[in-house]
Amino acid sequence: MNINFSGVSKIFHPDIAALVDVSVNIEQGEFVYVVGQTGSGKSTFLKLITRELLPTRGVVSVGGHDMKRMKASDVPYYRRDVGLVAQDFRLIPSLTVYENIAFVMEAMSVPKRIVAERAKDVINQVGLWRRKSMRPAQLSGGEQQRVAIARALANSPSLFIADEPTGNLDFHTSADVMKILFTINAAGVTVVMSTHNQAIVNASRQRVLELDGGRLIRDEKGGTYSG
Amino acid sequence: MTTLRYVLRDTLRLVIHHWVLGMLTLITAGVMLWVLGVTTLLSLNLQTLLSQLESELAVQAYLVKDNTLDVEAVARKIQALEYVYTVKAFSPADSLAKLQQKMGSQSRALEMLGDNPIPWNFEIHVNSATDVEPLVQALKSMPEVDDVVYAGLVVKRISALSRVSSRGAWVMFVLAVIITALVVYNTIHISLYSRREEIGAMYLVGATRAYIATPFILEGTLLAFFGALLAGGGIIGAYFPGVEMIRENLPLLANVIITDKMVIWRFCGLLAGFGATLGWVCSYLVVSRFINSITRPE
Repeated sequence: MNINFSGVSKIFHPDIAALVDVSVNIEQGEFVYVVGQTGSGKSTFLKLITRELLPTRGVVSVGGHDMKRMKASDVPYYRRDVGLVAQDFRLIPSLTVYENIAFVMEAMSVPKRIVAERAKDVINQVGLWRRKSMRPAQLSGGEQQRVAIARALANSPSLFIADEPTGNLDFHTSADVMKILFTINAAGVTVVMSTHNQAIVNASRQRVLELDGGRLIRDEKGGTYSG
Repeated sequence: MTTLRYVLRDTLRLVIHHWVLGMLTLITAGVMLWVLGVTTLLSLNLQTLLSQLESELAVQAYLVKDNTLDVEAVARKIQALEYVYTVKAFSPADSLAKLQQKMGSQSRALEMLGDNPIPWNFEIHVNSATDVEPLVQALKSMPEVDDVVYAGLVVKRISALSRVSSRGAWVMFVLAVIITALVVYNTIHISLYSRREEIGAMYLVGATRAYIATPFILEGTLLAFFGALLAGGGIIGAYFPGVEMIRENLPLLANVIITDKMVIWRFCGLLAGFGATLGWVCSYLVVSRFINSITRPE
């Protein structure tokens, strides 16, 4: 799924510019880091892709869909093709690990047998099968992050959005999470990940979009990040 | 099948999670619907009683004494008036015979009158007690009519009672609907509010609004439905002993009030359906508003 930002600005009430005149094109299968300091506009950039926000000016187009023109009734179907790992995980607290993952498939009326197989598969992928009956509150931050990744993988999305997925994790857990993301990307899934972790960006040398005060100040393939 | 299983499981989860609030809603809905049901039944019974009294209300119109008068033409003219239900003509001879029969042993006094003084007259029945006054006015304005006799005060009281009874029933209906609607609305709103983050997460991972909304709507519908069943049980429990009491103490009324058990059971069935519909409408409104507000992109 390709992503296109054309002259996109996002102004929050009363007059706070979170993103200013950003134009960028991300092709299907790319791995892109969105970097910048806190408050630089990284999360706004990602939320415009997931349609949690709409641009004040310009056009955000994902897989050929103009986000502003998309009908509200089409949004759930669009999001089923977008795997999202939010900064705050956004797991459903009343459901177990297994139920959180099964839920996204049940919402699509996937047959029970396939739900069970696929849920087991993605939970194993993030190494949490032994924790499948636990609720999010019983897990550590890193484990919750992995559940969020497993949930995002459940519907085999063609676009994977991760907002600071290693923000609360130690080095080893971060490395595990990154391994999963590279595996997903290797399967042809577009991955857009925001981070301010220099070590992670510098270790893998992927395309880097750097934001500062809401402006895109750098778009570099095989780039690094010095913070 | 998966969706249905989810909806049922989640509805059960909602009901269990907020069981205290759910019980309060169910009881309040039950009490309000019971009041609504009892008021409706009382009003129906009162209306039946009033209808019977109204059907017995008659206006007597006496014609002028004129041998050239075409009585049939006058009867047709009266029948054509909009308030008239039935018209029955009585000849002077028939009227005298009727009077003699009523007076019994004192009927001989009538012989002292000499010629029969009673003219042709009509016994007129109306559709409703409220029609009597305008009919009397219409009859009085007819040149063929000499005098009009009717139970004026009785008619006025019956009309007033009928109006108060139906207005009272409407007021109770509106009050019961508003209070039931408010408690269901409030309960579902609390359910939604306590799960607002969850709802946001569901929408974010691709659940449709209908998928998210259905368990909440079902929760509201079930609470109001069970409240209505409770009310129905209360009505059946109170109505039949009440009927028995009336039979023993006021046997005249026993023939007028609704005593058919099937009618009462059906009425309670209707009340349950009404409760469920009310619950569904309220839940639908609150869920739609809430989900719209939290899923709308900024």
